[in-house]
Amino acid sequence: MKHTVTIASRELRSLFVSPVAYVVLTLWSVIAGTFFLASLIGFQERLIQLQQYQMIQQLEQLNLNDELIEPFIGSMWVILLFLLPAVTMGLVSSEKANGTDELLMTSPISIWDIVFGKFLAGAGFVTVMTAIVAFFPALLFYYGEPELGRTVSGVVCLLLVSMTYVAVGVFASSVTRNQLIAFMLTLVLLVMLGMMLPFIVQITTAGSGLGPDSGVVKVVGWMATGSHVDRMLQGLIDTGDLAYFAIATGAFLLLSKTAIESARWR
Amino acid sequence: MSDHGNKGTPSVAPAISADALAKRYGDFEAVRGLSFEIGAGEVVGFLGPNGAGKTTTMRMLTGFIPPTNGTAQIAGHDIFADATEARRAVGYLPEMPPLYPEMTPASFVDFVAKLKDVPRPDRKTAVERALDRCGLLDVRHREIRQLSKGYRQRVGLAQAIVHEPKVLILDEPTVGLDPNQIRDIRELIRELAATGKHTVLLSTHILPEVEAICQRVILIARGRKALDQSVADLTAGGTSLEETFTRVMTRDDAEEAANESASGEAG
Repeated sequence: MKHTVTIASRELRSLFVSPVAYVVLTLWSVIAGTFFLASLIGFQERLIQLQQYQMIQQLEQLNLNDELIEPFIGSMWVILLFLLPAVTMGLVSSEKANGTDELLMTSPISIWDIVFGKFLAGAGFVTVMTAIVAFFPALLFYYGEPELGRTVSGVVCLLLVSMTYVAVGVFASSVTRNQLIAFMLTLVLLVMLGMMLPFIVQITTAGSGLGPDSGVVKVVGWMATGSHVDRMLQGLIDTGDLAYFAIATGAFLLLSKTAIESARWR
Repeated sequence: MSDHGNKGTPSVAPAISADALAKRYGDFEAVRGLSFEIGAGEVVGFLGPNGAGKTTTMRMLTGFIPPTNGTAQIAGHDIFADATEARRAVGYLPEMPPLYPEMTPASFVDFVAKLKDVPRPDRKTAVERALDRCGLLDVRHREIRQLSKGYRQRVGLAQAIVHEPKVLILDEPTVGLDPNQIRDIRELIRELAATGKHTVLLSTHILPEVEAICQRVILIARGRKALDQSVADLTAGGTSLEETFTRVMTRDDAEEAANESASGEAG
């Protein structure tokens, strides 16, 4: 445990002096700002439009959570898929490139210390990323009345998704010493988990007689992040969805540990 | 060299004891049944041509890679059964010093002290002492990536000694350095050995280095022990280390050729 913290804090400090971290944080902030501004302008235009045409019913239903916060966090989740690999690619692979794996593996620590330490460092970094995103909806509380519960649920959802993806990144970074390969592998895994799985299921089961209720389709559907994220963004915190994040994170960390361990037996 | 006296028979477990260590990579046998014992306080040169299995042996002793066969003990702790204690007892400088280029020597050595379980109250002094001994006080707050190769090697040594390990394993500590740096590092190793706190096993293929630093030589060739003798005995008859080295290696080559043809006929 003590060693986990040692490794995590060293990694976090190194992350924050790396140019990659600043490029990612800058891009992330700029994209978040742009998306938020665009959604805000869109919301305003819709409001004016509805007022002009006196559409009272729609006006009453119009709210900041549905029209602004939810789609905003949803789009940041998609951006995350493409930016996060740059953050996590070096977590373990750079140890091998620096030769510092030889230091870690000959120290009186366990491989779990390395895996958890790396995961915690990545989790710390995505907490900063989530805080940047959370800043924008927070602004709305000064000017309007979004629902607090739903907004918090959305932000927490983004944080949980990010942490799950960090675990994926730790794994991809554990299987290679090459950061570029780690980046590509993470990207592929994240795009699969985050976007492609439902489509792949649709395409491959088309005409095969496997309906949407068949086991395979359900299991693969469960593996995709999308459905879990959607519910949470709407403010529905379901233990099943929380379990998904926990299981996926645990599974990828276990894979990372196995990957690091098996490398020394080769 | 004043500490030759304490080389006597150790009453406790030997500092390093390797028992039929073997490592196989696929079909290639890197180390084949290597056994030796090194007493506390000894400074031993681990010699052999490139590819003889020096690095592999050191990696097994430090627990970086598990042996295919055999076992070893560090300060009485089995590298498998008692891995954590064995690792605490070792300071290891790999061939490529393990460094984080973005850190400073001070923060890096402190990090290693935490990894090696140096108790918190002693940590600051331990780090200071390691930096001081390796002559790093002037550059302690510079980024490691800006340091010269010689200084990096010193940082590598500092991380190996910060927890005052009983056993120091140094893999080619002077390779790739200029003559001045080589002299400095050798001097440093001699000083470390003179403190009497460390048993040193260092690999090299530079013969004068062995004569300069070591009391004893273990020569390996093709993963087997070819010679294990004190430097004083080896150079006693006026023969240079180089002559002995060449003689042993040629003999080994001949034996190997004979073995291979024999096993070729059998198989």
